[in-house]
Amino acid sequence: VSRAARARVWVLWLLALAGAAATMMAVRARLDEAHVALVFLLVVLGGSAAAGRALGVTLAVTAFLVFNFLFLPPFHTLAVTDPLDWLVLVAFLVTGVTAAQLLYRAQAETETARRRAEEVDRLAALGAETLSVGRAEEALAAITRVIRTTLGVAECEVRLADAPSDARSDARSDVRLETPDAAPASHTLLVPLHVRDRTVGTLRLADPSPIALDPRQRRFLDALAHYAALGVERARLSAEAERAEALREADRFKDALLASVSHDIRTPLTTIRALAHDIAAEDPRALVIEEEVERLNRFVADLLDMSRLTAGAVPLAIAINAAEDLIGAALQRVDGMSRGRTIRAALQPSDALLVGRFDFVHALRIVVNLLENALKYAPPDAPIDLAASRDGDALLFTVADRGPGIAAGQEERIFERFHWQPGTPPDARGAGLGLAIARGLAEAQGGTLRYLPRAGGGSVFELRLPAAELSAAGLES
Amino acid sequence: VVRVLVIEDEPEMAALLARGLQAAGYDVDAAQNGIDAMGLALAEGYDLAVVDVMLPGMSGFELCRRLRESTPATSILLLTARDAVDDRVRGLDAGADDYLTKPFSTVELQARIRAQLRRARMGPVPGGDAPLVAGDVTIDLARRSVARHGEAVHLTPTEWGLLRALVMHAGRTLTHHQLFDAVWGRHHGDAQQYLRVYVANLRRKLEADSLRPALIVTEPGVGYRLELPEPAGADPR
Repeated sequence: VSRAARARVWVLWLLALAGAAATMMAVRARLDEAHVALVFLLVVLGGSAAAGRALGVTLAVTAFLVFNFLFLPPFHTLAVTDPLDWLVLVAFLVTGVTAAQLLYRAQAETETARRRAEEVDRLAALGAETLSVGRAEEALAAITRVIRTTLGVAECEVRLADAPSDARSDARSDVRLETPDAAPASHTLLVPLHVRDRTVGTLRLADPSPIALDPRQRRFLDALAHYAALGVERARLSAEAERAEALREADRFKDALLASVSHDIRTPLTTIRALAHDIAAEDPRALVIEEEVERLNRFVADLLDMSRLTAGAVPLAIAINAAEDLIGAALQRVDGMSRGRTIRAALQPSDALLVGRFDFVHALRIVVNLLENALKYAPPDAPIDLAASRDGDALLFTVADRGPGIAAGQEERIFERFHWQPGTPPDARGAGLGLAIARGLAEAQGGTLRYLPRAGGGSVFELRLPAAELSAAGLES
Repeated sequence: VVRVLVIEDEPEMAALLARGLQAAGYDVDAAQNGIDAMGLALAEGYDLAVVDVMLPGMSGFELCRRLRESTPATSILLLTARDAVDDRVRGLDAGADDYLTKPFSTVELQARIRAQLRRARMGPVPGGDAPLVAGDVTIDLARRSVARHGEAVHLTPTEWGLLRALVMHAGRTLTHHQLFDAVWGRHHGDAQQYLRVYVANLRRKLEADSLRPALIVTEPGVGYRLELPEPAGADPR
């Protein structure tokens, strides 16, 4: 409301007071004091409602004087003879001022409520925008724009924590574009942005003049800062999700590639093997071809497994498995290659079931690998011992042979990639990945694999896998 | 004469399979994709189909499912090449009777085919048929009785349910999933996680040496199979 308009309202109400006094003067003889007081009170209330407390009080005091001067005998003096008239006058003044005061307060409260409602609406709209717009950067730009216009500062930007100084939200360039002529801002205000006790960034306000905020503006800024923090967090999370999705995509591609390579190599291997079988009757060399095909096939499998382990992309199918199931399957696998050597299998204890929580296929691959090694290096006359027992929280599988063992100091090297035991003839070599894969597979499912020298000569490999408890409730007796 | 359909898109492999099977005395047709295969299968009614898992267009799994639906009498042998056991499980769940992983030998292929044909000739195991005798174990589904060395063996209801499912599909690998469904139904709860434990218990009651099972065989990562008794000298596998 402009100054001139205010002045006009004042003049209008003072004229109204004068008009009321003039009108009543015409019929003064027939008027009671109460009539005069009521009419003046109406004018005071009207003025208060129209232009606030100051006008209300002014009207009350003026009316008080006019009342005394014109309507209380002796007329045309400010003297009062009847003490009861004093009572009327004072009562009128107090009523007028109090009414003006009350009216003012009610109006002020209404105004505050309206402003609060507006603020809440704006915050709600911003909040919804922060959480729903396509890109978090756009929400941040919107928030900085609102802060700038609402608080009337020249610059407002969001800085991300732990980011290089040029990695800021678009909000900054947005602000700069809208205020290209802004004078160099010399006064700044920094508001830290928190999400769950973690600082995710800073809100920076800058203006040529000092930034002074009243409590209401401060509250507004804090609320917006909270939204800005959420916006920053959202931007970070969505960037993270994009990165993770890209990694997953790469993994899927790699897996598809591996599967396809595996298929493309194995189909011709099958053909070669079948052709070799066809000519085996005429040419004994066909047997060598078949053996080499088998070696190549293992080579492919080893390379695939190793690359999956390296990428940390080994698919796991963890289930409750019985130790004897694993031993049985392993013995079946190596059945054809024992070449006269015997494998003694034992469970300890033999009456209760030994169960663990592991991936059966991977565990089988480990045990078969250990048995194959033992069969390769152990002397024909000494049996290989395969045993399973419970060892604390683990199921312990041991494969023990009477072979040459591993030289002291080499115990860990045998688990490295592309490591062959000294003395292995070249044609007996695989990819040199067997034990590296075995240990990798054991660790992938929460287990361990290690080598120990065997008392009396030979090697012991200890495979530990997580044991499981059989709850009596889950099983029938 | 036994009629076999080979579905394989790689010509070398297809020719080789056809030649090997013809040499073994089978009547062989070949198709290069699933659509052609479905047409032939519906018109001719084969005893057995050898399906490669990687086919152009309709996948080997889809073909298995359709063959199983439209020509249930045809046995299906799936050729998988990927090293993931998932393919085998998917194949069996889709209706394949057995699978072979490349590279396989001709001997292995023919042994698997003979096993499938033998199983098909036996037909499904009906309740009223003669008891199944496998080694020293006799299983009588009609009487709900199991005996080893002529002595009755006591089984819990779950063990019996497992054995029954395996016997009904003797010679065929049942996936873990198929076993859950057969024993616990669709709404299996916590019990299913103990499937392998129940199998271990069953083996202890039925096998001569539970560390070297001869009756209930583990297919690692896939499931379990009740091994059919071999007719003397018929199967070199």
